[in-house]
Amino acid sequence: MSYDIGNSLKHTALILGALVVILPFYFMLSYSLQSQREIETGLSPGGVNAGFFGSQSLVLDKDCLQANTPERKEIEVAKTSYPGKTEREIYNILLKEVETSCSSRPALMNYSMAFTKAPLLRYLLNGVIVTLSIFLIQVVVALPAAYALAKLRFLGRDFIFSIVLLCLLVPVHAIALPLYVILAKLGLTNTYAALIIPWTISVFGIFLMRQFFLTVPDDLIDAARMDGMSEFSIIWRVMLPTAVPALLAFGIFSVVAHWNDYFWPRVVITGDPNLFTPPLGMRVFKQDTEGDLHGPMMAVAVIVVAPLMIAFLMAQKRFIEGITFTGMK
Amino acid sequence: MSTGSRSAYWFVAPAIILMGLIFFIPVLMALGLGFTNYSLGNSGFDFVAFENFEKIFTRRSYEKMWGATLTYVLVVVPLSVLLGLAAALAINSVTRFRDVYKTIYFLPVMATLMAMAIVWQIMLHPTAGVINRTLASGCDVEFAYGVLSGAYFGFDPLTSWYGNACADVMPNWLGDKKYAIWVICFIGVWQNFGFNMVLYLAGLTSVSRELYMAAQMDGAGSAWDRFRLVTWPALGPTTVFVVTISTIRGFQVFDIVEAFYGFGSAGPGKSAYVMMFAIFEKGIKQNLIGIGSAITIIFLIFVMFITLVQRYLVERRVHYS
Repeated sequence: MSYDIGNSLKHTALILGALVVILPFYFMLSYSLQSQREIETGLSPGGVNAGFFGSQSLVLDKDCLQANTPERKEIEVAKTSYPGKTEREIYNILLKEVETSCSSRPALMNYSMAFTKAPLLRYLLNGVIVTLSIFLIQVVVALPAAYALAKLRFLGRDFIFSIVLLCLLVPVHAIALPLYVILAKLGLTNTYAALIIPWTISVFGIFLMRQFFLTVPDDLIDAARMDGMSEFSIIWRVMLPTAVPALLAFGIFSVVAHWNDYFWPRVVITGDPNLFTPPLGMRVFKQDTEGDLHGPMMAVAVIVVAPLMIAFLMAQKRFIEGITFTGMK
Repeated sequence: MSTGSRSAYWFVAPAIILMGLIFFIPVLMALGLGFTNYSLGNSGFDFVAFENFEKIFTRRSYEKMWGATLTYVLVVVPLSVLLGLAAALAINSVTRFRDVYKTIYFLPVMATLMAMAIVWQIMLHPTAGVINRTLASGCDVEFAYGVLSGAYFGFDPLTSWYGNACADVMPNWLGDKKYAIWVICFIGVWQNFGFNMVLYLAGLTSVSRELYMAAQMDGAGSAWDRFRLVTWPALGPTTVFVVTISTIRGFQVFDIVEAFYGFGSAGPGKSAYVMMFAIFEKGIKQNLIGIGSAITIIFLIFVMFITLVQRYLVERRVHYS
């Protein structure tokens, strides 16, 4: 009996916690479907509670209306189709038409505006380019180094490994300022290179892969050498395949960190929207539309957050393992 | 020493060069520039000795920086560690829905913080935000008002926070000096405790069942005794690690502040002027590389100090296990 009470208390606490955690996700999704009015008042036209989906009653896109308001010339042209009407009446008829064509359901409008008000596709593409380049370069640099540190004997090995451990102490964000000075001196700010270079080496990746390679039996490598494989091809054809689980964990860690990173892009990208990564683009979108376009803003947020969320929900075990595994140095 | 010792140098060479360029040179640069008045674009600069540090430890605006940074770290680290531990213990002790809870609590760790900060900002809007709308609607519900304002318990409602808010206006969460940094702390905890939770869950799997049995036989009957005598000591290394990593991350808070106050100030009365924001504002926006580097040095000293403490604690523990 006491067990049951304790158990239900635990579940109650866990559920309450879960509700608080999920709250902003709920509203992000819900707001991305609603009109500005519904977001600000929580009420749909007619005063009913907007709920999750809102009423989806038509809303007018003011920019569209402004751009297409009937002009003198159009009224002249339309005169032939409406014989006997005054210009005022024709104007009103035309305006009605424009209003109808400029109205749409909030959900649709928010998500289309997310792509039209700012080059969101470009931001997403930049995000993909940057995160993937970073991960690939990190692997290309870290795997050979990790292999050498784990499996080859050479003078200075322990010293080099202790340097790796030393670098492990320094968070790259902490030394952002001198890195920025170097890149600025080289004229590299506002380039993809600036977004990628500071992350090309992951000392953490080297450390992780070294620890993993230590567990790979030497016989495997000796056999490959017996077959006449070069050390170089041993890395890519023998070690790499055995390292897939560790690489996957590291990949999740790396991609999540750099897809979400806002600070570094903010430092080195100033002004050129063609180079904005998703978080930076989102921040500028917010600035440009200050307080006015919550629905589209939330649609952008959903689109930026969704890829990782979906991947996470599909492979939660791997993600949690990946992040914990990589967290536990 | 035979096979591959020559190729070994080729394998580690790129890593060594990059470590030099990306870690050693910048750290040395910060150590040097922190003692100068260097600015990008200027032809020369002067050595100013400790002038930058003197400013950082005496001027008012940096007082705000210390206040905001330490408040954030001292609130977010303990709370996110304790909540992470509590969540892990609770999840570990129930049999159903473990994965559901774990997944939900982990969501904020994965989500782009910039996006979530903007959502929070909309929710926290003083008049149109859902949080204040909900609070305000409670003022008209007799029961809710009675309980929350303390009127039901015989207090004068106007002396309570809620009664006051109902009578006057709902709080301007992000625009009022009284609340801003605390709201930022709340979001920091909201985002981080799930990370600590999974680390603790991993730590809990290593606590052996025999220890609990032994404790039981020694008379440690209650749940609290079991926690105190077995779980907590066994989680020691995890706790040391979780506190270290939370602290280092805490010093790096930036996104939330920029999302809320962004391209200009650092919150009402600079109340959210955290360290990374100061480095960014001074060093990059105002091109005061000297001052920015000095703050960077202090930051690095903090990180070193925390890591040394961690190492010391970990090494001391080795004897137990």
